[in-house]
Amino acid sequence: MKPIKRVFIFVTICFLVYLAGSVIAQITGYDIPPFNRVNLISDIVGSSDSAAIAEGKKGNTSSGETVPATAGRKFEMYMKAGAINNFSADTQSVALIGFSQKLADLKAGKRKKVRIAFLGDSMIEGDLMSQTLRQLLQAAFGGSGVGFVPITSPVAGFRQTATATFSKNWTDDNFKNNQSGKLYLSGHSFSNSDGWVQIRDNTITTPGTNIEKSLLCGYTAAPVTVNYNSAPFTVNANQPVNRIVLGNDAGTSAKLGVTNKELPVYGISFESETGIFVDNFSFRGISGVEYGKIAPDFMQQIQEANPYDLIIFQYGVNVLFQPNNKNFDWYAKSLLPVVEKFRKVFTDADFLMVSTADRAFRYNGVYQSAVGIDSLIKTQAEIAFQTQSGFYNQFETMGGKNSIVDWANRKPSLANKDYVHPNHNGAPVLAEYLYKALIKDYEKLNIEKKPLP
Amino acid sequence: MLSLDVEALLKELLYDPQNPLLFNNGFFVFFFAIFMALYYSFRNSFNIRRYIFCFFSLYFFYKASGYFVILVIISAVVDFVLSNAIHRQKHKGTKTFLLVLSIVFNLGLLFYFKYTNFFISVSNDFFQAGFNPLNILLPVGISFYTFENLSYTIDVYRGQFKPARKFTDYLLFLSFFPKLVMGPIVRAHEFVPQINKPYNITNHDFSKGFYLIISGLFKKLIISDYLTLNYVNYIFDDPSRYTGLENLFAVYAYAVVIYCDFSGYSDVAIGIAKWLGFNIPPNFLSPYQSKNITEFWRRWHISLSSWLKDYLYIPIGGNRKFTAVTFVFALLFFSGVFFSAVHFFNVNYAMASLITLIVVLIFVLPSLLMDNNKGVWANLNLLTTMLLGGFWHGASWNFIIWGALHGFSLAVHKIWMLLTGKAFSSFNNKWWYNALAVLITFHFVCFCWIFFKAESLEAATAMINQILFDFDLSVWKAFFDNYWPVLDMIFIAALLHVIPDSYADSVLKRFKKVPLVAYMVIFFAFVILYGAFKSSEPVMPIYLQF
Repeated sequence: MKPIKRVFIFVTICFLVYLAGSVIAQITGYDIPPFNRVNLISDIVGSSDSAAIAEGKKGNTSSGETVPATAGRKFEMYMKAGAINNFSADTQSVALIGFSQKLADLKAGKRKKVRIAFLGDSMIEGDLMSQTLRQLLQAAFGGSGVGFVPITSPVAGFRQTATATFSKNWTDDNFKNNQSGKLYLSGHSFSNSDGWVQIRDNTITTPGTNIEKSLLCGYTAAPVTVNYNSAPFTVNANQPVNRIVLGNDAGTSAKLGVTNKELPVYGISFESETGIFVDNFSFRGISGVEYGKIAPDFMQQIQEANPYDLIIFQYGVNVLFQPNNKNFDWYAKSLLPVVEKFRKVFTDADFLMVSTADRAFRYNGVYQSAVGIDSLIKTQAEIAFQTQSGFYNQFETMGGKNSIVDWANRKPSLANKDYVHPNHNGAPVLAEYLYKALIKDYEKLNIEKKPLP
Repeated sequence: MLSLDVEALLKELLYDPQNPLLFNNGFFVFFFAIFMALYYSFRNSFNIRRYIFCFFSLYFFYKASGYFVILVIISAVVDFVLSNAIHRQKHKGTKTFLLVLSIVFNLGLLFYFKYTNFFISVSNDFFQAGFNPLNILLPVGISFYTFENLSYTIDVYRGQFKPARKFTDYLLFLSFFPKLVMGPIVRAHEFVPQINKPYNITNHDFSKGFYLIISGLFKKLIISDYLTLNYVNYIFDDPSRYTGLENLFAVYAYAVVIYCDFSGYSDVAIGIAKWLGFNIPPNFLSPYQSKNITEFWRRWHISLSSWLKDYLYIPIGGNRKFTAVTFVFALLFFSGVFFSAVHFFNVNYAMASLITLIVVLIFVLPSLLMDNNKGVWANLNLLTTMLLGGFWHGASWNFIIWGALHGFSLAVHKIWMLLTGKAFSSFNNKWWYNALAVLITFHFVCFCWIFFKAESLEAATAMINQILFDFDLSVWKAFFDNYWPVLDMIFIAALLHVIPDSYADSVLKRFKKVPLVAYMVIFFAFVILYGAFKSSEPVMPIYLQF
């Protein structure tokens, strides 16, 4: 056979066999992976792919329990985008009533400080989201300072709002290895027999403002001498959790030397004398249930030493780690006692459950929102509902289904190509949405107070 | 039961921006089978055969990039007319004027579509001009066919080549569908004479073509796509979230990706062309086996380097003289070195001047020592070529830095040869010396790829930072457990890369009498493998630190 004929015969026979195989597969329904991915005619005869995707699309709520209807409360409220809600049927009621009242008091000068703990996973790593929220809130209600900064962090180099340099030899007791139940809200406790850390707050915009630099640390039986900005400093850490003011001056940086392994060190906090503060507590790869590890009475001590007025609780992407999982009952079971503990211990603080943001997986070659995302958000909302907490639907607010795909594909992009993490362009957008929702809730306070016409 | 969706069928025939035509679309199977049947049936009537080829090429281009196909046709008309006018014109001045017209037209198109927004952002950065970026889409393949147009009119001007007499000859040269999207850059004097030849190939052409097509598809669709989606993309997207180890492997993986993607596409194009009776010279020769950077550029994207040599390096002076272009780009480069030293490495002016002086010396010293001025010009012309070559790859500073690094390293390699050529002669041909040289060259090339791939200069520096300062081998086990499929893929790619081309050829020669059925079995095995990879579970990123 002449070679050119070989080319022709080869191409023709391969084509005919391929086509016949594709037709047979479609007719017989023998259209399974991997053959369905290379079927020649699936696009023109009612494709099996699109059917699979459509099936993925409608899959949601596997959690079969129905939430009991309570007088004046409507569970369906959780679907609402762009608003904080406490499931109240009355849409004019303030969801975070205690927190909003404190904001009003701060604004009126009746209160010195309002403090927010922003708990989250890698989504808020490097102060993402919280830095924008802090900036916006401080612009509106006053205050200056980055808040809590941990001793070491894997993303210290990536964080813009604080520059931390530290000796390499810190022992890090944390969520992954701790047994004692004595960890700060950061999920860490550090110790060192001869180490140092230097932290600079990069958020201070008006030089000359007095910034309180406080050491947050655990208990030691006897006073311990540390080194603060090159001078000896005696730390009386006689409480389970201590907030010890190291200095109150215009300096924006603190250098701490620790030479006693007995002293549990959590971090250094930077706060002006009055105003609103947002502490970033990011911990990679966790789902929030890890807070179950902190002993309740120890948590109580945290609130006494460094009181918080609002706990923002934002997890979920790490629960969505399997592309096809739609059942989050196990998560609900382990998370509920954790949130109940928060509610019980932080009696003076409001609690805001922020839903997961969108996360996508590749289904048949196309990036789509995780099929279980609706179910997970419902689970999170149920916990908020049961614990009388506030709820904020971040997923719907950022655009709902497939929004992370849109964010990642935009130019310039708002999210990373892992289709999980909003980037330095996207995180401020999310934070601004959250800020607007908080303010909208706060402004209802004034409406409530207005006398009826 | 099966029902044909006519509307969907008709829609398939139109351009779909979400799904542009490439060799891996199901559509291409239909396209190629029909094309092959027609091409084979009309193989002896050259005119009809050529019309069919042109039509299918333009249609391929339409399916790949929509109405930008008109741009190919317009530029074919303009260059066809101009080249014939240049050829007929006896008066030297008019000839030159026509050539300049063609250069302005072609580069103008390329500049408008590729570089407008870059220059807008440069003017905004440096002069606070405040222009708004324009919404310009980059037409597929424009970088390639613009260069083909230029080589053509310049060759005609130089009298090295008689222009094509028939318009369709020229149109086919430009739009030849196998190479339209990603090259290789074909030269008219090699290609055009093959258009109107009897269709004839050898048995070796058949098996070599098959080998190139299947191995090319394997490199591009399986290795490159898998690594891109499951590893490279998300690490390069946010390097500071990942450890040094993950970042380092992302660089290795990207070295694999860019090679497999690019050379895979070229191989498929060359293979298809071979089957159709066209010879296109190889575009890649196992470049990561290079023992130095000069050799790397003889093995990497050969059609581009030889184009740049003939139409940029030699016209601006080559190794003979110094021109204004050399001067401008050398000046830009040395001031670039000075300002980067000041701004990126935060050194004072005196130190920056010293660094710049050392860099200048690297370019100048060897030639001065050898008392040969022309060596200086050669070095600086090479640098200019690499800077512009870098810029050709994309409109951003990162590509310019990439080009600058390569240009600089070529000069460093020259010094190295000068310094060690004699001193090392007792062992510089030993296997261990060569292995070391390959390893160093590969790592330097990888280092440059960081700039090539990273979204921005910040991302590139973040990545280098992570590799240098956040490198911890203790995460190896967790790394391996999660990413073993990715590592396997890198390993397979490395194995493929060390097979010498001559070895493949000799094996193919031995299997001359393989029955056609065996080829078909291999083809379908590949199709099923491709399907398996398309439906494989994605590899998800993990965090090695918490």
